[in-house]
Amino acid sequence: MANSIMASSKPLISLSSSTQPTRVNLPKSIKLPQIPKPISSSLSSKALSFSSATVKSLALIAALAPPSMAEAMEKAQLFDFNLTLPIIVVEFLFLMFALDKVYYSPLGNFMDKRDGEIKEKLASVKDTSAEVKELDEQAAAVMRAARAEIAAALNKMKKETQVEVEEQLAVGRKKVEAELQEALASLEKQKEETIKALDSQIAALSEDIVKKVLPS
Amino acid sequence: MNVLSCSINTLIKEGLYEISGVEVGQHFYWQIGGFQVHAQVLITSWVVIAILLGSAALAVRNPQTIPTGGQNFFEFVLEFIRDVSQTQIGEEYGPWVPFIGTLFLFIFVSNWSGALLPWKIIQLPQGELAAPTNDINTTVALALLTSVAYFYAGLSKKGLGYFSKYIQPTPILLPINILEDFTKPLSLSFRLFGNILADELVVVVLVSLVPLVVPIPVMFLGLFTSGIQALIFATLAAAYIGESMEGHH
Repeated sequence: MANSIMASSKPLISLSSSTQPTRVNLPKSIKLPQIPKPISSSLSSKALSFSSATVKSLALIAALAPPSMAEAMEKAQLFDFNLTLPIIVVEFLFLMFALDKVYYSPLGNFMDKRDGEIKEKLASVKDTSAEVKELDEQAAAVMRAARAEIAAALNKMKKETQVEVEEQLAVGRKKVEAELQEALASLEKQKEETIKALDSQIAALSEDIVKKVLPS
Repeated sequence: MNVLSCSINTLIKEGLYEISGVEVGQHFYWQIGGFQVHAQVLITSWVVIAILLGSAALAVRNPQTIPTGGQNFFEFVLEFIRDVSQTQIGEEYGPWVPFIGTLFLFIFVSNWSGALLPWKIIQLPQGELAAPTNDINTTVALALLTSVAYFYAGLSKKGLGYFSKYIQPTPILLPINILEDFTKPLSLSFRLFGNILADELVVVVLVSLVPLVVPIPVMFLGLFTSGIQALIFATLAAAYIGESMEGHH
């Protein structure tokens, strides 16, 4: 058949006028490139008496299709309600319950449980943060106590050293004062001695002066 | 010229149309007890349900405290769903998580399966496998479930006092309030249906016109739209439920 189509430049005319071939290769409905060609043949053979465009196209489709196809085409409808509808309803309800059993309920429950666990864990983590705060405060208190202790020890040591330093200072001062007194006393003594010596010399000197001045 | 057009024609016929045929309103019918069902929708919806249940069961079978890989992803999705429900419904969102979540996941995986899974490998005798959400039955089913859900939510929360919301601001608005109960599922279902169908059509038409490169941005746009539509549906459903539960005083 492919050969015959190849050989003819108008394959469709030969097709529509030949005996009914197999279904697969036949145009069944809107096959775009093939529609215009067989109009003349179908019109001349079958639909001469009709004139309106719609009738022409109907006749065209009828002429293109084999008798069994033509019957089917008459039945072919877009809005063809039948038992399919309730069957789909039943199938849908079945799918809904099956998916609920297999998917929504188990996975949903699992996810909710996991959510709860995660929330619990988060809450417990918040609790430990309070604990951490407490420990922190304890550490701060320990630090404060240690600091106070150190300060006290430092103060004590400072006081002790100050006392010691003052003692030594006092001792040193006393010693210095004593030495000063001693030195002052010896100075006085020397002064008196010198004055005494000067007194005795003064008597001798005045005698000499008197002797020299007064001619004897 | 002739040869060229012929070969292009052949190429398109042999190769691309098998993966990109446009089939609007074609369904693969099964008969169940005298009723017809759209088998392609059921098949793809089973695949979507299998993907959802399988991946969820695999990822959640042994949850770890520290999530990795699949579990992480599913936890993210669950948190997202819970977030959406909580924002829209309020504090009592818990019981509604399965409903909102399943709406979101089912629509989202359906939409993306239509764009990403190579359904076209599997040939059906009639119609084709695509996203379950591009069939009006699916979207209307989901929208009706939403209606039932928000009626249930309102009635279980407030009893018959729930119906006082119809005359809430003034009794003059009664017809409009009643009309809302019809427009809500209608807009929900048609928004989803139209978006997904249009998205797939645009991609298919573009692929049939320019097979390479050009459709890629539109495909990405389609993925984006699909996700947005899933989110919108789930969010609106949650908003309706929240609206019927909240006090009107």
